[in-house]
Amino acid sequence: MFDITQLLDEIKASPYEEIVVTAPHTGVVTFADVREGARVIGPSGTWKEKKGTLLATIERERNQKPIHAVEKGEVKEVLRHLEGTFVEAGTPLVRLRHFLSKDEVLAIILKKALHLFVAPERAKYYFAPDVDKKVKASGPRSVSLHEGMDLFIMSRMKREASLAYSGPSGVIYAVYFQHNENVDAGQPLIGVCPPDQLPLIEDVVARVQTEWEERE
Amino acid sequence: MQTKDHKVLVANRGEIAIRIVQACRKLGLAFTCVYTAEDAASGHVRIARELGGDKSLYRVSSYHDANELMAVADDAGATAVHPGYGFFAEDYRFARRVSQRDRKLIFIGPSWRVIRELGDKINTKRLARSLGVPTVPGSDRPIYDEMEAEKVAQSLFEFQEQQGIRKPLVLVKASAGGGGMGIEEVYDIDLFRSVYRRIRNYALRQFKDEGVLIEQRIRDFNHLEVQVVSDRSGRNPVHFGTRNCSIQSTGLQKRIEIAPGFDPSSIEYGFDAAQVLRDITQHSLAMARKVGYDNVGTWEWIVTRDGRPFLMEVNTRIQVENGVSATIARVRGQKGVDIIAEQIRIGLGEPLGYGQEDITFEGVGIEYRLIAEDPDNRFTPWVGRVDGFGWPERPWLAMHTHVPSDDPYDIPTEFDPNLALAIIWGKDLAEARERGVEFLDTLVLEGANNAGEPLRSNVRFLRDNTGRILKF
Repeated sequence: MFDITQLLDEIKASPYEEIVVTAPHTGVVTFADVREGARVIGPSGTWKEKKGTLLATIERERNQKPIHAVEKGEVKEVLRHLEGTFVEAGTPLVRLRHFLSKDEVLAIILKKALHLFVAPERAKYYFAPDVDKKVKASGPRSVSLHEGMDLFIMSRMKREASLAYSGPSGVIYAVYFQHNENVDAGQPLIGVCPPDQLPLIEDVVARVQTEWEERE
Repeated sequence: MQTKDHKVLVANRGEIAIRIVQACRKLGLAFTCVYTAEDAASGHVRIARELGGDKSLYRVSSYHDANELMAVADDAGATAVHPGYGFFAEDYRFARRVSQRDRKLIFIGPSWRVIRELGDKINTKRLARSLGVPTVPGSDRPIYDEMEAEKVAQSLFEFQEQQGIRKPLVLVKASAGGGGMGIEEVYDIDLFRSVYRRIRNYALRQFKDEGVLIEQRIRDFNHLEVQVVSDRSGRNPVHFGTRNCSIQSTGLQKRIEIAPGFDPSSIEYGFDAAQVLRDITQHSLAMARKVGYDNVGTWEWIVTRDGRPFLMEVNTRIQVENGVSATIARVRGQKGVDIIAEQIRIGLGEPLGYGQEDITFEGVGIEYRLIAEDPDNRFTPWVGRVDGFGWPERPWLAMHTHVPSDDPYDIPTEFDPNLALAIIWGKDLAEARERGVEFLDTLVLEGANNAGEPLRSNVRFLRDNTGRILKF
């Protein structure tokens, strides 16, 4: 078993993450009034329906697309020389320094505590139809897993294959993949919590909740 | 505006993007390529960097995003768009938008009305029937309703029973799919519903369109094509001969294409093969004239064992296998026909400049599609790194590939693992086959995946099937 105190200390020693905001597609960039050192906020609200701080707009085919901060943090660099120019997709526009939130710290720690079921191949993954129904209706934690059950549809180059679960029985505690996005081989798809470890995991959650101070 | 003043946006990737760039250079045209993050190591990116002029390469978020292509076209100063095959090639809305927006561009393909007319399978069949051209029975449009789907399937089973077919079967396929993906066969009406649902769900996941086509599957047939070329006048279409594309994977994707479609000079057929070839070219040209077809296109036919042809569909675009027709074609006796270059030239408005009587054919061409896949295991795609790829140069061989032969190449998982097209010419079928085998035997194609397993390819499959080329 891992040492949660040590892990928390490690994260506290370097509680930042650099986020590079890039152009989602081609277009002409206009930066918003953001300066180096300014604080920005990420999306908020129950369903993250309130957008983060506006960083820039990118115009393409007479459509303006606003680009918002995806996390809260401090602006480290605005690539102002791109102002008014046509940029390619993926061009870095703004660099942010983001202080890890409680949820993110929890996710990092849970990734060490849970049994991870990893992607065998680089592919897109979908829950198998039966599992998908349950996840959509009552959330991933309603799905109990056992060895050999049909869990995923793995899709590569539009060819699909089913993928059975292997590992300890338990519930899906965390989901790490996004719909319609590729997952690299070896990356976790889900975190599984066996029933006997549930109290321990809940203890971890409680400790992070009390010990982690979210900074602005 | 003269032809050479145009700049062509190459709205595609990989091997076809390279061939379009080469055709542009042949015609003295400037070009612009696009690529996505996954394709940074692709040969079409490299060729654009090496040979392109000012503003000739852009990274975009997706090849499927029309806004992205239009924005790049404007920034690069492109005046025409070549869609290649796949992506927007048969999308009449895209073709219409390109030619009707404020800053108009030329769509290098048939005009949008022609694409709309022939892209709609009901229309194509109606048109064919009005000209006395036989067509394949089945649903004329995508079906979204389960009851309706079952009714069509039922009627197809009954039709086949009436025809005296012992084991009737029905083909269920995703309407938005293509290239043999999302297709299943049903032998029993009782199993139809579950297959229908599976394909519908698959189609929804992969193409965001639940439409399903239900067709009769004619077993024991040859798949033939007629290459049609026509300038913007739409009045004088010519054909560049026939192709036989019957050697396919289990998923019904083409693997070997041969021009011409049959070879009655060296093989005996149970029907008048020369007459069938004449019939399908004449039928295809009659339809092309009727719709005023105004660029390159392919009429796809199936020919049954008793020598009856049925029109399957019309592909209103350049096809992968255009080069195999070009290799046996001569215009006024001259070699070096390039159908992609012809497509661009007439697409930009030049008259074709020659007629059917100027086109002759010489020898036999074979095209092999080299693919990283496992033919023994239902042609499952293989993903990994190619680190050895080479072949001896031959005067009778043309290789089209986006895979570098001097650098390792990681196969992207976004797209099919097509590695190269090899086109072989021989003065007759026997020589073409011999050269094909020689090429495959001297080809170096090596690699490994993450787990250290060696690269799998279809080279062996291609070699094994070379012997039965054009036999029926």
